[in-house]
Amino acid sequence: MSRLRQHPYIATLVQQYSTRAVNRREFLRTATLLGLSATTAYAIAGKIDGRSGTARAQSNKPKGGTLRLSTTVYDVKSPATASTTAHPLIYAQVVEHLTKTGADNVTRPHLLESWSPSEDLRTWELKIRPGVTWHSGRAFTADDIVWNLTRLLSDEAGSSVLGLMKGYMLNAIDTGEVNERGRKILRHELWDANAIEKVDDRTVRLNLKAPQLAVPEHLFHYPAVMLDPEEGGVFGPGANGTGAFTLTELEVSRRAVLEAVEDYWGEGPYLDRIEFIDVGGNEQAIVNALLSKQVDGAFQILPDFFPVLENQDHLAYYEVTTADTSVTRMNVTHKPFDDPRVRLAFRLAIDPAKASAVTYGPFSTPAEHHHVSPIHPEYARLDPWTRDVARAKALLAEAGYGDGVDVELTIQQNPPHHLRNATALAEMWEEAGIRAKIKVVPNAQYWDVWLTAPLGATVWAHRPLAVINLALAYRSGVPWNESGYANPTFDRLLDAAEAVPDPVARRENMAEIQSLLQDDGPIVQTYWRKLFTFYDKRVVGFAMHPTYQVFCNELALRDG
Amino acid sequence: MISFIARRLGQFLFTLLAASFLLFAVTEFSPGNVASKILGPYAVESQVDLLYDKLDLGDPLLQRYTKWLGTLLGLSSNALADPAISLGLSDPRGARYFGNLGFSLMQKEPVVDVLARRIGHTVVLTVWAIAFIVPIALTLGVISGVNAGRPVDRGISGLTVTLTSLPEFVTAVALLLLFSAWLGWLPGTSTMTAGDQWSAASQLVLPVTVLVIASASYVTRIVRASVADTLRRPFVRTARLKGLAPRRVILQHVLRNALIAPVTVILLQVNWILTGVVVVEAIFAYPGIGSLLLQAALFGDIYVVQALTLLALTVAVGTQFVGDIAYMLLDPKIRLR
Repeated sequence: MSRLRQHPYIATLVQQYSTRAVNRREFLRTATLLGLSATTAYAIAGKIDGRSGTARAQSNKPKGGTLRLSTTVYDVKSPATASTTAHPLIYAQVVEHLTKTGADNVTRPHLLESWSPSEDLRTWELKIRPGVTWHSGRAFTADDIVWNLTRLLSDEAGSSVLGLMKGYMLNAIDTGEVNERGRKILRHELWDANAIEKVDDRTVRLNLKAPQLAVPEHLFHYPAVMLDPEEGGVFGPGANGTGAFTLTELEVSRRAVLEAVEDYWGEGPYLDRIEFIDVGGNEQAIVNALLSKQVDGAFQILPDFFPVLENQDHLAYYEVTTADTSVTRMNVTHKPFDDPRVRLAFRLAIDPAKASAVTYGPFSTPAEHHHVSPIHPEYARLDPWTRDVARAKALLAEAGYGDGVDVELTIQQNPPHHLRNATALAEMWEEAGIRAKIKVVPNAQYWDVWLTAPLGATVWAHRPLAVINLALAYRSGVPWNESGYANPTFDRLLDAAEAVPDPVARRENMAEIQSLLQDDGPIVQTYWRKLFTFYDKRVVGFAMHPTYQVFCNELALRDG
Repeated sequence: MISFIARRLGQFLFTLLAASFLLFAVTEFSPGNVASKILGPYAVESQVDLLYDKLDLGDPLLQRYTKWLGTLLGLSSNALADPAISLGLSDPRGARYFGNLGFSLMQKEPVVDVLARRIGHTVVLTVWAIAFIVPIALTLGVISGVNAGRPVDRGISGLTVTLTSLPEFVTAVALLLLFSAWLGWLPGTSTMTAGDQWSAASQLVLPVTVLVIASASYVTRIVRASVADTLRRPFVRTARLKGLAPRRVILQHVLRNALIAPVTVILLQVNWILTGVVVVEAIFAYPGIGSLLLQAALFGDIYVVQALTLLALTVAVGTQFVGDIAYMLLDPKIRLR
């Protein structure tokens, strides 16, 4: 077993930041992922660059008041099966994550005091923060973590944590049975009996099947909250938690009410009460509620409504640059996408800058067809992408499609920018002889075909490291590999990248990966999306989070 | 009368059975798998399959329909409430009782509770809307009908034709812009939640106004036509020749006879508002039956959709029955058979 104190790469990282081989953001994110506390990381960064900056700006925030936020109020009986980023807005104020990725994209320990990965990134020691207690008064212990992680990784819980951690925590077992639809019944089990190991009351060790740098990020995946084992995984009004609030009222699709608890172990809470108001998913109604001060803030606002709200005196604008995107992915198990020349032709016919401008206007930046964002620490700068219609036509002809090709692009109905992006793509493809028919389907229906449709546009949420998305979407045989892409070279490069803590060294791997995806990959990707919203100026302490999270214990309300 | 009620009840039950079965059949062809909707896009296939089996979604259509019917009648217990299948669904009334409408898969609660929370709001909206629609439509319709062809009739007719032709969402957005965004007199949404800085009454003003504009204009047109037609009938001429005062002719002879057609239309408006003013509720975020129907249909929450269909049928049959009684009272020549 490798040494589990300070990760040896941290010293190199400090050296790299001193010489600016990595930038401040890369330094902070990688250092904290490797187990350095955010406070220490910020302090070291400050010493090197002279900038003041703290992990957390605590000021004399006013106390009291009720904050009303507009969001969809989902059923949250089972946080393990939460399927949208709006679900945790309610339950994560009560039951908390072991780690926390802030609006600055830096992941910090939360219920944990620290984590320590081994040199080979296969053993992670998680240390519980002292003094954390449940609302019931019982101490939060290693048993709670073991129970929760084991449950989240079981088939019965139905959690997407399983898909996220499957690669390094689980084995898939073929039961030999088939269900009514003739599909094999698969079961999952921990790859090793000691995969989740209690070391002592305050320490849990994760023993991984494969190296993984993003474990702390995965522990912040929205369903991965710590529930009281005594409540059997069921959440609701009055549920026990470790958070700053308790849920007192829940009416699905209408409203949820939370009230502050006394003696919270962390910052705040400053508010007495939070009310989440559901205005029914109608974007115009959300804007109306903000205008008439019926809510103090909104989950998010779409660009179409920005002009209505930007000049309102009582509202403040918040935005965050993210790696949130949608990719037009070609399923390589279907013709004509089984031919890499065709896939490249589909990319060469596109000018991402133009498509990005049409799709999301000034609230987006162009992508480069490789699903690695400039805000990712491992992003490698390649030569600018150039549209080449003549070459696209030639490649199609070479692949046997001299007369062009007819395809159907399946997209989700909402939000409306999906259609704008699809229309821009179809117009540009047409010049290269690609005739695309756009098929708009209800959002829920799309998720029934996202793994099988020959050509579809899928939303991929922001994730702080590029390797997380690449591993989820393009590694051979993984559950969310919607394109059926299977390239041993890509898998090998990704394995290597995931095992490298050094962003500079990883960047070399990433340059190869990004180039490979541009030449051979299964996607056409045109934009990265900024997320934004408006909050009442009375609200103190809010920052737009790249995955929409709101840490209500840090929020306060000014009078007036 | 008794045989009339019994026949109506029989027709109602038959319609109910046919409609509820048709709904089950239609959902067979509706897109999406409820299991994958519950677990979301990132659940792996084996997880979706497991839930699919727990929800018995693979059972034949007739078998699922029979189960639903048996549960509704209290003949069989609801399998989804079984703690052994770990869906976390429970009903405080028990698993077997008459009127058990099942569980909402979207809200993970008994459908009866989901409906109970919404129906009160819809009734309030209906009562207020009808309280304005009937007097406004009757007054304007009578004035217009009595003055048929005169400037006042042309004015009222022009206004009501214009308002009738405006879709509800246009009226709603226009009123929102004026009274909420520009003047700031009224709230932009009507969520009817406690603690809102706007009173419940102020939250009702805009949705009720939109419904009144949409409905009263149409009913006014019907009343006007009916009054104008009645005025041409011989018994009105006789009443006038007898020397009765014009006011008495209108109130005692014309209005009573002219009301038969408008009563049907007014009852249809009650039916419409009570069972699904989807557009108005969606625009104003009003927590009634209409917005619930929209959410349930989009999610594929079959048990909620079934319950709302049941409700709509009951209201339709109920209003039709009230209409029949009203005809009899208005015109003694009509007899119910």
